[in-house]
Amino acid sequence: MPHQTFEEVVLPHLDAAFNYARWLTKSDADAEDVVQDAYVRALRFFSSLRGDDARSWLFTIVRNTWYGRFTRAAGPNQPTVYDDVKHDRPDDGLDPEALVMQQQAVERVQRAVQELPTDFREMIILRELEGLSYKQIAVVVGIPIGTVMSRLARARERLQAILRPSAPPRGNNRDLS
Amino acid sequence: MICLEAGRLLDAFVDNELEPADAANLQAHLASCAACRQLLADRESLGRLVRHLPYYPASDRLRAKILRISTRPRFDPSLLAWAAVLALAVALGGSVEIVRFARARHGAETTAAVADEVVGDHVRALRDAHLFDVRSSDQHTVKPWFLGKVDFSPPVEDLSSIGFPLMGGRLDHVAGQPVAALVYQRRLHPINVYIWPAVDRTAASDTRSIRGFQVRHWIRNGMSFWAVSDLNDAELGELVRALQR
Repeated sequence: MPHQTFEEVVLPHLDAAFNYARWLTKSDADAEDVVQDAYVRALRFFSSLRGDDARSWLFTIVRNTWYGRFTRAAGPNQPTVYDDVKHDRPDDGLDPEALVMQQQAVERVQRAVQELPTDFREMIILRELEGLSYKQIAVVVGIPIGTVMSRLARARERLQAILRPSAPPRGNNRDLS
Repeated sequence: MICLEAGRLLDAFVDNELEPADAANLQAHLASCAACRQLLADRESLGRLVRHLPYYPASDRLRAKILRISTRPRFDPSLLAWAAVLALAVALGGSVEIVRFARARHGAETTAAVADEVVGDHVRALRDAHLFDVRSSDQHTVKPWFLGKVDFSPPVEDLSSIGFPLMGGRLDHVAGQPVAALVYQRRLHPINVYIWPAVDRTAASDTRSIRGFQVRHWIRNGMSFWAVSDLNDAELGELVRALQR
């Protein structure tokens, strides 16, 4: 990346980096720490940035920073708890307005996504909120594209299962690949 | 196409990531299968909800901090000291020395930074028991595994004949770039050998000890190699010499 500076190339992705870190850590303070460390590392390694996909490159660093700071013990292998979703199902409320229903639905989805194992949660965030291609996700997460496809499918299945309160979730949360 | 296969392709279809031929086959199946059409509709409505999830932007406070980080080196007081050294170098020698010295300083910093990274990665890989994406002692299995996963072909050699059996390899990331990691073993000590094209400006070779781990670095045939282990430096050196042959 010859004639461009760190400020021009990496700073514009600060919001994206924070959003990703925020969904990984589920905490503003932790996400700020992760992003700050990630930018320090990104600056050190700016000369090693090849190609022009600075955002995926930064995501990789954010992910590695987060991964290094937080052990996986509290992460993806933790059993999922479904209780609090059941308590506020939107059909418990009687508000007739569609907008409110929509808002409630989004809040339900937000809680459901936060309940997902981290491996699944980041798939949803990288694909649906950041709009990364399967290839870019494969680079950021460090898995083959085939695994991106199957893991994303499982993440969505799991999400649908959580959002469908009557049906118990099926299957295991690990990839087979 | 059967429903099982359709289900496997459904997400890539929704995400516009299917090959045209697969997409056409799936569409033909959907036209005749109400159950799979329902699955597709479920996925699409889930997608609409999920895309309304909150997007968390960075706070102004964080933005200010990051700006300070990214502009700091220009005002780093240590640069003053560095300028003094430069002035001395000018007084003592010629421009060639200065350039060599400047390169060496830059190289030394990058080398130290990369050494830190590889040790951190080594520790993480062990802690998470994720040493292998491909587990095999056969170099003809491990080497082709990297095809299409990295844009270079790492040299892979089993060294069990001299007591360093190849255990396998994995795709990893160092300094934000994809790297090939080979795993060797001596007794109970795993050894990670990281390989990537030598484009970063590290020193040509390096030996150091970080947090009790031995680190050896060398560049060969345009590839940068980093070996990390808790093995003693003499034995790690044996492996390094074998890999340099």
